[in-house]
Amino acid sequence: MLELKDLYFSVTETDGTNGGRKRDIIDGLNFTFEPGKFYAITGPNGSGKTTLAKLIMGINPVSAGAIRFKGRDITGLTITERAKAGIAYSFQQPARFKGITFRDLLSMATGIEEEAKLLDLLRRVGICSLSFLDKAVDAKLSGGEIKKIELATTIARNPKLAIYDEPDTGIDLWTIGPMVNLLKREQTEHRTTTIVISHNRAFLKAADVVLMVNRGKFAYVGNLDGALPMLTDLSICNFKPCREGEEDARCFR
Amino acid sequence: MLDALDKGLLKAVADLEDIPEGAYNIRKNGRLLSRATSANINIESNEEGTGIMVTIAPGTVKESVHIPVILSQAGLYDVVYNTFIVGAASDVTIIAGCGIHCGGPAPEGHEGIHEFRVGKGARVKYIEKHYATGPGSGKRTLNPTTKVFLAENAQAEMELTQIGGVDDANRLNEATLGPGSMLLITERVMTDGDQKAVSRNEIVLAGDNSRSNMVSRSVIKGNSRQNFYATMVARAKCFGHIECDAIIMDNGANETIPALKAEHPDAELSHEASIGKIAGDQLTKLMSLGLTYEETVNRIIQGFLR
Ligand SMILES: Nc1ncnc2c1ncn2[C@@H]1O[C@H](COP(=O)(O)OP(=O)(O)OP(=O)(O)O)[C@@H](O)[C@H]1O
Ligand SMILES: [Mg+2]
Repeated sequence: MLELKDLYFSVTETDGTNGGRKRDIIDGLNFTFEPGKFYAITGPNGSGKTTLAKLIMGINPVSAGAIRFKGRDITGLTITERAKAGIAYSFQQPARFKGITFRDLLSMATGIEEEAKLLDLLRRVGICSLSFLDKAVDAKLSGGEIKKIELATTIARNPKLAIYDEPDTGIDLWTIGPMVNLLKREQTEHRTTTIVISHNRAFLKAADVVLMVNRGKFAYVGNLDGALPMLTDLSICNFKPCREGEEDARCFR
Repeated sequence: MLDALDKGLLKAVADLEDIPEGAYNIRKNGRLLSRATSANINIESNEEGTGIMVTIAPGTVKESVHIPVILSQAGLYDVVYNTFIVGAASDVTIIAGCGIHCGGPAPEGHEGIHEFRVGKGARVKYIEKHYATGPGSGKRTLNPTTKVFLAENAQAEMELTQIGGVDDANRLNEATLGPGSMLLITERVMTDGDQKAVSRNEIVLAGDNSRSNMVSRSVIKGNSRQNFYATMVARAKCFGHIECDAIIMDNGANETIPALKAEHPDAELSHEASIGKIAGDQLTKLMSLGLTYEETVNRIIQGFLR
């Protein structure tokens, strides 16, 4: 349903010792996502997960290669056209507005204005507090609140392909389980092809297929059990203590 | 008595479909068109004949006064001086606004000076909308001034809006706050084409425990220009905040200068100011919900000016 063909996203580095050099943040990906399946994408910070999601949504321009969605080449389509084709994306860092409420976002996502239908939608996404509807989606929202709103606007689109970028960051312990169940239910009831980017095992466990990204490539594709050795392999992690004499030592202090 | 044009303007500036309920004073082309008073709210022309005096009896609650001005006469520049005496412990809404319809090449303009004397413990909400329209090329000028005096524990909430079509605006707001009083001002101005708008604000926090928050939202399209100046002067233990945001589109230009002056050691003053284009993440979010670029920009601007 979604095919990545020799997909690249390249930038010219502007800073550091590599300044001026080309860097392939997404480095020649080939993969086909099957309809109705649940995928979890994991991988170290900075490995290219969000970049990949933004390539699929059309937020990042493709440097080389192609993306096909339901048999159609969408590489040249705008964000709006991809949204209308049935792709939805929950941002890792959701936008905050001035003067726009959760209700406004839901209406924009669905075209629905009627209160009763909006309330049905809230129930579907597991938000029980109705006062939430008139919350301003602004800088005052807490980190968890804005992620819940972000997730809800994605589900509200009734997408054929839903991509959730770390939906659990900032989400309290009591909500993570129900959130996994919600996305599973959306997958089974609406046959939504689901891609969740996450570092959380609860999502990796729920997935039919786990993909691990490292330096812009899929380092592993398969079930969670097979991924476990890599998840504990420190050589993949880019958060390492600096060793003396190391060429490309990066300190994260 | 009201023709279709008048009704359109009234709807735009005062949200009125027809002659309002309660006390009102409608001014058309520099003259009184109609007026009504209520048991608690008196309206009469002032002695100088330059405007009206609105007197709200102490303790008047949940009443409103409409005082729209409409202009559709070429070449007219209308100046009025209106005074509002808001009695102690009252709670009222005052809806003002000026609509200009310009049909030809001659300029039209209105200059309204509104002075508010808000009594002890009284609350007033003031809503003012400015709007100009019409096929004519004549310059449309709107220069509103407000002067607010808040007595002890009085509260005023002011919503000042210039929604569109005004070529030239010189806006001035002055306020002096007594002890325990509170002033909230929200100003929204949108300009386009070659329009210019200048807003000057001077808020003096004179009484102990007075509080003020001034919010300014500007949208600057086309080749238009907006300048925003706000000064808060603290002369007592008080709290004041200025928040000014400008969105620039096309080739708009903006100058924003918030100023804070503390003349008392217990003053607490702060400001936030920002000028910029619509944030990229806001655009991509709404487009990813299926809106086109144009729809997205409209929704963001609508929200920003709400
Ligand atoms: N437009 C861009 N220009 C330059 N560098 C970019 C751009 N977009 C992403 N990057 C870089 O590409 C790398 C991958 O970023 P990305 O956001 O995809 O990481 P991620 O895998 O989602 O990480 P995290 O787990 O922290 O969310 C980072 O080093 C980032 O700084
Ligand atoms: Mg990321």
